[in-house]
Amino acid sequence: MHAKLKDLLITNILAIVLGIIASGLMLLFLGKNPVSAYAVLITSVVRDGYTFADIFVKATPLMFTALAFAFTYKANLYNIGAQGQFYIGAVIAAAGSLFFQNILPSGLALIITLLLTIVGGGLWGAFIGFVKARYNSNEFLVSMMSTYVALAIMNYLLRTFLMETKGEYPQTDALAASVWLPRIIPGTRLHIGFVLAVLACIGVWILLYKTPLGYRIRAVGYNSRAASMSGINAKKLYVLAFFISGALAGAAGFTEVNGVQHMLVQGFNSDIGAAGIGIAILANGSPIGIIFAATLFGALKVGGTIMGQMSGIPSSIIELMQGFVMVFVILAYFVRTRLENNREKRKLQKAAV
Amino acid sequence: MINLLSRTIMMGTPLLFGAIAEVIAERAGVMVTAIEGIFLMGAWAGFVGGYLSGSLTVGFISAILAGLLVAALYGWICIYLKQHQVVTGVAMNILTVGLSAFLYRVIFGVPITPLTVNPLATIPIPLLSQIPVIGQILFNQNILTYAIYLLAPLSYFMLYKTSVGLTIRSAGENPEAVDVAGINVLTVRFITVLLAGVMGGVAGAFYSIGFLGMFSTNIIGGRGWIAFAICFLGNWNPKGAVIGTLAFGFAEAIAIYMQSIGNNALFPNELFIAIPYIMTIILTVSRKSFSVPAKLGVPYIKEN
Repeated sequence: MHAKLKDLLITNILAIVLGIIASGLMLLFLGKNPVSAYAVLITSVVRDGYTFADIFVKATPLMFTALAFAFTYKANLYNIGAQGQFYIGAVIAAAGSLFFQNILPSGLALIITLLLTIVGGGLWGAFIGFVKARYNSNEFLVSMMSTYVALAIMNYLLRTFLMETKGEYPQTDALAASVWLPRIIPGTRLHIGFVLAVLACIGVWILLYKTPLGYRIRAVGYNSRAASMSGINAKKLYVLAFFISGALAGAAGFTEVNGVQHMLVQGFNSDIGAAGIGIAILANGSPIGIIFAATLFGALKVGGTIMGQMSGIPSSIIELMQGFVMVFVILAYFVRTRLENNREKRKLQKAAV
Repeated sequence: MINLLSRTIMMGTPLLFGAIAEVIAERAGVMVTAIEGIFLMGAWAGFVGGYLSGSLTVGFISAILAGLLVAALYGWICIYLKQHQVVTGVAMNILTVGLSAFLYRVIFGVPITPLTVNPLATIPIPLLSQIPVIGQILFNQNILTYAIYLLAPLSYFMLYKTSVGLTIRSAGENPEAVDVAGINVLTVRFITVLLAGVMGGVAGAFYSIGFLGMFSTNIIGGRGWIAFAICFLGNWNPKGAVIGTLAFGFAEAIAIYMQSIGNNALFPNELFIAIPYIMTIILTVSRKSFSVPAKLGVPYIKEN
């Protein structure tokens, strides 16, 4: 176990470094010096408290979408529709806040909005689990397609019912300050949603590894036939796993709308679903690992944006870095399996002698 | 109406390219989940090649090369290194979004007005295009549309009536048997993925230089996934793929038509945009009997 963890850390760190080097080489095409560009990246994210705190602001929704993928992954299900569940959550968060902000005290409005967001995202996700359980539909395809449907719903609402009173742009009115998530460090954008995200990671870890439900979910993921035979209702778990997964992704909508944007803007955060999958893979599906992996992606995002502003490097460098890191992380999986096999072989050889 | 049906055939072209490629690869046991990324790089390379050379032929050749590269990387990771196909596909898709946006910027900087090329012209077929109604719908299309509707029956023939097709299908159903016959399963699978790269590259370029005459990073917008879905819904058969494609092409043609008449009070535009995706969900849910290739998505590991 110890050797495995060591392998995991070493290969993944190598993968991250290689991914960053590969994207650095791409900078040469622009005639930029990658070393000085990365120097800008590193020094800029630690240049002041505001920027540094922004890493965790960016990491917050990523933790939720990564958890959303990791959770179903444990049941051997693929929820690649976290982006859509996030949009549904964001729409409900904006609509709920705008509705409750004038009639309820701020704490109560926030809690009710959060609950509605979770239930909405969860139901949107549970639909995928339901058609998987009831009709044996391919959850991978249904979840993918549901994202585009969610996007269309969001765009429609932003153009009609939720559109700002000025009626100029497809966005909602700004939320009243009473329904903003409280800041945890004054002078930065870091809000309490970050704490929620970390708690969600810990909560999911406990749920998966310390409760009978988590055991059943993992059993279904490991071998659904054997789990069914031992009396576990796999179909019910499909729906439940997708509900929880969707609820997690939906919560990201709440923290983004109430914590960062304070309004709903068309097409915002259009890449957090995909980045969440990358983070879950990087963390090897571990909810605790997700905290660190999401922070790394958050740092890439913040640093990449500043690098773009300061040295004229396009912001697509962020996706490039994420993409390269992901590819190398997958290669790291391969290397780890190799290392593990060799270790087993040596063990057997030793035993034979 | 004639216009709508003619549009259906045209909008179905890239989907059918992608779906047929996907059918062949999945019959051999590999899901090409990188197809969205292959489409995107095809669209990018097609535009860059076409714009810089001024020749659409060069554009399509560049698109094929770009599709091949993405497919080769995907195939190497999934087939030879035996890594997870869904996960690898997602990674490839993120990478291609970054690559295409970044390299577009490297080559063109930030143009003030969007760069455009003249898209593929239609080639009316002499005599046949003169037939009323049908001529306008079927025989006044561009060259790629003709090509894919010829390739579709050809791919059916290849898969079900030739020994090559038998080998491909066996690689997805019973790879051990292929191995025993002295044929390398991994090579068979890799070749089908490369073929998907070629066809997916052309499909992507159809969006950039075959139809719109421009490039943006959201140009594909899930069309690769729809081709992927059509393969499923068409029951892993080129015949089914053609039927599925026509249904989607029709949905997309209606969507574009409805948007063009604009200001529709009854139904919002967004509904029409969402129709192809909703249709995929409904069809995925309602299909009962599938003939899934037995070893679809399972890496082949030779036993010693």
